[in-house]
Amino acid sequence: MLYALPPLAAESIFNIGTFSVTNTYINSTLTVILFVILAFFVKRSIKEVPTGIQNFFEFIIETLLTYFDQVTGDRKKSLKFLPLIGTLFLFIVVSNWIGLLPGVGSVGIHRGAEFIPLFRGANTDLNLTLAMAVFGVIASHVIGIGTIGFWRYFNKFIKAGDIVKSFKSKNFMIVFTAFIEFGVGLIEIVSEIAKLFSLSLRLFGNVFAGEVLLTVLGSIIAYAVPLPFIALELLVGLIQATVFSLLVLVYISVATMPLPDHGHNDKKKHGHDLEPAHN
Amino acid sequence: MENQSVTALLGLDWKLFLAQLFNFVIVLFVLWRWVFKPLGKKLEERTSKIELSIKHSEEVEQKLKEAEKYRQAEMEKVRAEANTAIAQAQKNAELVKQQILAEAKVSSDKMLEQAKKEIEGEKSRAMADIRTEAANLIVSATEKILREKLDPKRDEQLIKESLKDI
Repeated sequence: MLYALPPLAAESIFNIGTFSVTNTYINSTLTVILFVILAFFVKRSIKEVPTGIQNFFEFIIETLLTYFDQVTGDRKKSLKFLPLIGTLFLFIVVSNWIGLLPGVGSVGIHRGAEFIPLFRGANTDLNLTLAMAVFGVIASHVIGIGTIGFWRYFNKFIKAGDIVKSFKSKNFMIVFTAFIEFGVGLIEIVSEIAKLFSLSLRLFGNVFAGEVLLTVLGSIIAYAVPLPFIALELLVGLIQATVFSLLVLVYISVATMPLPDHGHNDKKKHGHDLEPAHN
Repeated sequence: MENQSVTALLGLDWKLFLAQLFNFVIVLFVLWRWVFKPLGKKLEERTSKIELSIKHSEEVEQKLKEAEKYRQAEMEKVRAEANTAIAQAQKNAELVKQQILAEAKVSSDKMLEQAKKEIEGEKSRAMADIRTEAANLIVSATEKILREKLDPKRDEQLIKESLKDI
């Protein structure tokens, strides 16, 4: 028989006051506890000459940094963004892999005719992926403002300053492009909101799809056949974590990228986004 | 209402959202404080330390090379000096030898000359002696002959005698 497919929404297990604790929330909290313990041991074991757990984490950090360098192009920047991006990566990949452990999705309680699993992959909950996406995108804006200043950053989206400047030039074409750029800036705002959706839904969708796939396969043939798919899901968990964290890193590095000079070069702006500023 | 049902279907709930955000922030905080910050610092420190020690070792190697070069040059110089000193000494010795030989030759020549002269002197003296002796002999012989020149017999005897005496 086919087991009931997992619903899109996480199921509530019990309530604390008005707050309903869902199975995905239990998983995410377990992941948090795991990380707190791990981090505690890492902190305690830090020595000049690394051993054991410190070695392992140094390896992870080194690997992450080499990837980050490809995005930021600067080891200093990579180190600066490492805590946020590294946490995103580790948290996502570990919670994804915890979601694949036996018992997750199969150990549960019966509520009436319904079977409710106690544990469920943390990223099958849109709340968590959206929370991380919101955090990442807001962090990119905050870091962007902190790096290039509020007004310059603000001018990226509401290009009122450019319009004022263009009027001073008294050149119709420049005024015209400034208005077009203003429209582009408004679209940028939309794209910032789209980032939230794409980040959160991508992660949620992939992990949820994996969960559904494994459930279906497990309900058809429970033995051996799901194994390669579990391996595949391990890979998907890693890849999605990489994609999520690297995308946030890209957002941050784009947000911190100094703006090119305005005025006559306005038309070329987008082609030269990657150029360092002349300030 | 359509919108609400979508969020409900996806399980979106602001309380859960905040709770999950809180969870994430805890992980972020903990990893930041206890893992990424100290380990990142350690890694940087180690990198700079290794870079420094590599630089140091390169410097030391460079110095060693220079010292070796200097030593080599000094050795070369010393060797050259020694060689010239030896050559000089040899030359000096040769000179002294030549001088001594020359002196020896001169003195030996002198001695030879002296000896020759002496021999010559002896010889001439001897010749003079012989000459006087011979003259005396002849005189005495003539005297004898003249004194005893009486008969031929005697004459003959006398000649024989004097001849015997010579």
